[in-house]
Amino acid sequence: MTQTMENQSSSAKELAMLGQIKSILLKDDRAEIDAIKKTLYRKEELAKEVSPIVEERVQYIKDNFRKEFGKPVDRIVEIKLEESKEQLLNVIYPVLGQMIRKFVNYQFQLLKDRIDSQVSSVFSSRGILGQIKSKIFGISSSDMVLSDLDKPIIEEVYVIQRDSGLLLGSFSRKVTVDKDMIAGMLTAIKSFVEDAFQREKQELELIEYGNYKILIQNFFSYYVSVAVSGSLSTKERDMISEKLLEFAENKMPDNLQLIDTELQNQISEGLEAFFNKDIFED
Amino acid sequence: MVSTKVMLTGSFGVGKTSLFKQFLFSEFSERYLTTIGVKVDKKVIEVDDDQLNILLWDVAGEVSLDKVPHSYFLKSSGIIYVFDLTRPLTYKNMISDIEYIENKVPGVKVKIVGNKKDLLTEEQLEEVKSKLPIPADIFTSAKTGENVELLFMSLARKILGKEE
Repeated sequence: MTQTMENQSSSAKELAMLGQIKSILLKDDRAEIDAIKKTLYRKEELAKEVSPIVEERVQYIKDNFRKEFGKPVDRIVEIKLEESKEQLLNVIYPVLGQMIRKFVNYQFQLLKDRIDSQVSSVFSSRGILGQIKSKIFGISSSDMVLSDLDKPIIEEVYVIQRDSGLLLGSFSRKVTVDKDMIAGMLTAIKSFVEDAFQREKQELELIEYGNYKILIQNFFSYYVSVAVSGSLSTKERDMISEKLLEFAENKMPDNLQLIDTELQNQISEGLEAFFNKDIFED
Repeated sequence: MVSTKVMLTGSFGVGKTSLFKQFLFSEFSERYLTTIGVKVDKKVIEVDDDQLNILLWDVAGEVSLDKVPHSYFLKSSGIIYVFDLTRPLTYKNMISDIEYIENKVPGVKVKIVGNKKDLLTEEQLEEVKSKLPIPADIFTSAKTGENVELLFMSLARKILGKEE
């Protein structure tokens, strides 16, 4: 019994000694673990350690972005551009048209001014009479000649998807035959003419019958057809073109993939707001 | 209601325009077909709860499809290729014609239609079927109206994605 008690007491002593040795040997390791824990568990401490590494990595990515990610990013942009090409062009088309039109108009105005100055120097009886009238009414000689003709009226406007000939929207002053079918037949005629003559990048822009003119303004994925009665001067034709570009820029939706009643109503309302008035008054 | 373009094509005299007439009441004169080679009409079809506004382009028959202005094919959602069951010449080029169409309008839904079914007995029809380069989707008679409505309904369902 005494022997057993002695054994127990010695093993307890050994354990205590072992514990002391352990704490001495592992002192440094424990301190290190405590420091790591402190760093990991406290946000600010962790930030201090990690931030430089992250910043260095970010800087590396900034400096080497093209090398590391150039190809996949280019591919993504390429795909995105391809997918939204039609929408993009629908937006750009009218803006480019406006710029070109403004430039051409300016050049024509210069030419017209030169012609007016020529006309004013002619001393024929008609010229003198014209000049008197011109002075009285305060309008140019060339515009006076045109003012004698019938005033144009926009009777109908159709916005039609290219190729399919599906009607996107319309405005009409009177009841006509089915507008969907007019849009389809106009497209068929347009396609036929363009195919038959095969003039690359040239498109049908005008159809005339009697006192009616059908002006066609082409955009990227659709075209607008305007039926006008009465006489149409170049200036008035320009005004229609200008108005159509303005309409395309402000009222036409970019996405024309799904042609449903909602889209058609939206475009038709836009046309009504733009063309159910005398656009030649301005 | 969604609008869509469907084109009717095939050789001269296969009965395209008669199918067209069976399907809808035409407002435009047939003269357009001979002057510019195409005539456009429309019909609204109800499929389940959806409405489809079909603009149907009837193209004047040509011996070869490449004689049809290529722009007529563009942006079609569906194409009905018609041949005459009584004239082998009208389905002889079927494979190249279908390839031509699929090349012009990738992804388009095509229905191959054997017309003038009323002129054949059941046995004769079976014999013609065995000789076709590609199996037809449907056999119609523009004269009696047999399967005409079914053809357009089935195409409409295909366009709306309600049928394979």
